[in-house]
Amino acid sequence: MKAFQYATAHSTTSARELVAGNGLYLAGGNDLLGLLKEYLVSADLLVNIKSLPGLNKIEHGKTFWTIGSLVTVAQIEDDEAIKKVFPGLHEASTEIASQQIRNVATVGGNLAQHSRCWYYRHRDTQCLKKNGDLCYALNGENRYHSLFTGNSCISPVVSSLATTFAALDATAIVLREGKETRMSMAELYHRAWENPLAHNSLENGDLILRVEIPTARTRSAYMQVSDKHAFDWALVSCAAAAEVEDGRLKSPRVALGSISPVPHQMEAANSFLEGKVLDEALAAQAADMILKDAKPLEHNAYKVPMAHALIRRALLKLKGDA
Amino acid sequence: MSSWPADTKYISHSTARIDAPAKLTGSARYASDIQEKGWLYGMILRSKWPSAKITAVNLDKARAIPGIKAAVVARDGEFNIRYYGEEIAAVAGTSKQACLDALRAIEVTADVRHEFVVNETEGLKADSPRVWENAPNAPAPHVRENGNVDTAFADCTAVSEGFYTTPVQIHNPMETHGNTVSWTDEGVTAWASTQGITSVRDGLAGALQLDHSKVRVITEYMGGGFGAKFGPGVEGVLAAKLSKSAGAPVRLMLTRFDQALAVGNRPSSFQKIKIGASADGMLQAFEAENYGTAGIGGGADAGGGGGGADIPMPYIYKVPNTRVKQSAVAINAGSARAFRAPGHPPASYGMESAMDDLAAKLGMDPLELRLKNDPNEIRQREYKVGAEKFGWKQKYQKPGSSPGVVKTGIGCAGGAWGGSRGDRNTQGDAQINPDGSVELRLGVQDIGTGTRTVIAVIAAEMLGLKPEQITVRVGDTNFPYGPGSGGSTTCPSVSPTVFDICTKALAQLQTQTGVADARGENWFAACKKLGVTPLTVHGQWQQGLSTDHACGVQFAEVEVDTETGLVTLKKMLGVHDCGLIINQVTLESQINGGIIMGMGYALYEERVMDDLSGVVLNPNFETYKMPGMADVPEIEIVLINMPERGVIGIGEPSLVPTAGAIANAVFNAIGVRVGSLPITPAKVLAALGKVPPAVHA
Repeated sequence: MKAFQYATAHSTTSARELVAGNGLYLAGGNDLLGLLKEYLVSADLLVNIKSLPGLNKIEHGKTFWTIGSLVTVAQIEDDEAIKKVFPGLHEASTEIASQQIRNVATVGGNLAQHSRCWYYRHRDTQCLKKNGDLCYALNGENRYHSLFTGNSCISPVVSSLATTFAALDATAIVLREGKETRMSMAELYHRAWENPLAHNSLENGDLILRVEIPTARTRSAYMQVSDKHAFDWALVSCAAAAEVEDGRLKSPRVALGSISPVPHQMEAANSFLEGKVLDEALAAQAADMILKDAKPLEHNAYKVPMAHALIRRALLKLKGDA
Repeated sequence: MSSWPADTKYISHSTARIDAPAKLTGSARYASDIQEKGWLYGMILRSKWPSAKITAVNLDKARAIPGIKAAVVARDGEFNIRYYGEEIAAVAGTSKQACLDALRAIEVTADVRHEFVVNETEGLKADSPRVWENAPNAPAPHVRENGNVDTAFADCTAVSEGFYTTPVQIHNPMETHGNTVSWTDEGVTAWASTQGITSVRDGLAGALQLDHSKVRVITEYMGGGFGAKFGPGVEGVLAAKLSKSAGAPVRLMLTRFDQALAVGNRPSSFQKIKIGASADGMLQAFEAENYGTAGIGGGADAGGGGGGADIPMPYIYKVPNTRVKQSAVAINAGSARAFRAPGHPPASYGMESAMDDLAAKLGMDPLELRLKNDPNEIRQREYKVGAEKFGWKQKYQKPGSSPGVVKTGIGCAGGAWGGSRGDRNTQGDAQINPDGSVELRLGVQDIGTGTRTVIAVIAAEMLGLKPEQITVRVGDTNFPYGPGSGGSTTCPSVSPTVFDICTKALAQLQTQTGVADARGENWFAACKKLGVTPLTVHGQWQQGLSTDHACGVQFAEVEVDTETGLVTLKKMLGVHDCGLIINQVTLESQINGGIIMGMGYALYEERVMDDLSGVVLNPNFETYKMPGMADVPEIEIVLINMPERGVIGIGEPSLVPTAGAIANAVFNAIGVRVGSLPITPAKVLAALGKVPPAVHA
């Protein structure tokens, strides 16, 4: 990697000031150090934000909970209250990487991580996402790539937390030019849908402060399938969340990861499920709707039946014992 | 003729690795641990093109990077690059970062060729770009024919046809390839991560034009080698040249990225198999066409074209009528090297898959089909013992008949390994000191299999001592000649040698001291009579104490989720013969390792090449997937102890049947064949007919 300066910020103001110019925030560093080592990004200054006060807490509120951006994935995994209130979030946290990585990986970093596309990550391919001329994956080795995209890059979002937060209708609070900006998960990734160079909608200097999760949905579930049984990226991930009243779904939401540059959601499917009684047939109908416009490529079409199964299973899991 | 003792205290029992404390505390020194102050790091610049002519390499800017002490080219003058990752130059410096910076500063002038081929099916075509200018990528196939296949098929009651493919598998031992090399006026010392210290010494001496006596190779400990760690490699020679140029020792260990490109690999196979049997299940006819790639392959030696991808077909079975055509396809990718039981895992996977597909056509239990057709008595015995232990009869259901979404299935497969009775030139010394301490010195290396412990166990048995009383020194070319650790021959090379050394040492000690039986409780008194002079005795390999041709069968039980395609391996049972067991615990450890490696081959591992850019797309453990602890099932091992056969190596046989057994268990679960390794969720869903067609934009 290129040489860089290192500084520790003790306030969000100083963090922003330090990062201006050619600086990058450093929290867990799992993604950033890999990017630096492979010369995919460079910075003159790394701004350690781990000492920013107040961002490493999980706060329980009545209508929403707040998870600071410096909360580690392991903190989420180990939090007994989260297991009860947001079981899907707990499940997602257990599937992320390995225990060692979860111990240092932060919520902010998980949301802001770059594409894992093997062409993007390869030191000797100059793909679209690196300002090159073409997406190698489109007609190449696209087994891990998207079924949906709004541009000509097909690298998918892989953040398991983003998938789960989307289903829980969580909001990211981002410090942008000194002001707190509220972004839904759809908004947090929208730019990646449109722009092949983007991994998310964050701009230089933006800092994710926290995520607010409404408590309205007391049932949630997360599932993924990987080639391996642990420490492997999801081929497809799916999260579902809802309230269940008298056996009927209330405010249901479904989101999928690893099949689109954004957490894949279809509001029409959410509306379709509203007020209905969950059963196999209903879950299958929802899955059909959610995957209707999928554009499978030569090597990733298997994701369609896989996603279909995960949508059905995640939804049916919301029934719980009731 | 010599024979092993019948009544034993250590041989055929279990002794924990004598070097376990050193390994666990980190005091064991591997090639990359040998690093004193002032010694340098080395790194290699590799081609970013799959095909090019290098016309100039300018190292000036690299040499100017602070901390860089030497830079050398991999080859002089103009030269051709035939695969992505081929070596161009190397640098040595005081830090890794200095080396990384220097690699980026090297100026390479090249005529880049845009015509190349990295896919063996493409490479097979007559009009594909040539890897070697003067030869087609695929020479005429080798054809072997016995009997009359065509008439035999016509008479068969059941005929099965299938296409079975296996990927290129990359060598990924825990310790990457590499050496620390010091080249001074006195000569060269190399601390090598190698399976053959002698091969490294001879290779370095040849490349550097030094006398063998001026090169010393040391391998105190090494972190695994599976056939690709013989000789110094390009990296070893470059490390030596850097050391000479810099005037300091250079540690040049490859990175995981390097490892995926240029250290050899297991060739792929694309096996089209037709097999037929009469109504009683007896095999009558076998026809196969197979091609695979060894990358740029044996091309350099053969003057071009592919080479080295043939596999034994129809493997362990005797079929009266056969026709086998095989060809090797050269592509622009790193070449093959020996890889744990070369040829056998793909052969076992292909043939054993074909056997189960045929059994389904015959409506026969596939185990029964094997018992009818397998000509080997030991495997017959292993199948019977294994089936009983595994509960085959209770568990077996017809293919695809397991109910529900998550289906269970079982499968089995067999393997063979010729091996050898050992390197008959293996030698060693024992030094018995007047204080009773014993030191054995052999120029063999312990590649992690427990060779040190095997030596200690045999010496302890022969001398009536405890294994921990034996000091074992290996891994140094200053010791008497030892074999390379390949072909599962280390144990059959070393064991008879230690037997001989100890037999002679004991006899001489007894003669010299007049103690009738110096073993056990008399040991110290006898040694004391040596006075002040240690007794040093030389010994060598003896006939009749070892043998070859190991056989093994394995059983697998899987769960397959038919909606997500995920295969979960629930259980593996390995039944192996290994002649006389020397040390059971390290033997079982090797079988565990073989099964886990075979599981990776079955379910996860695959080198992925990109047709457009020619690069290896998965040069890391993120996307070159290996089994982790969460994937590894319950592994049960049954050893068929046959002391009368003598010592046999187990390293390779333990891996051979695993993939075939797993693939057959998947077939048994879902009732359709996934004819391609690795068996990923994507392929399972495709085999089940659940995958929609691609939408072309």
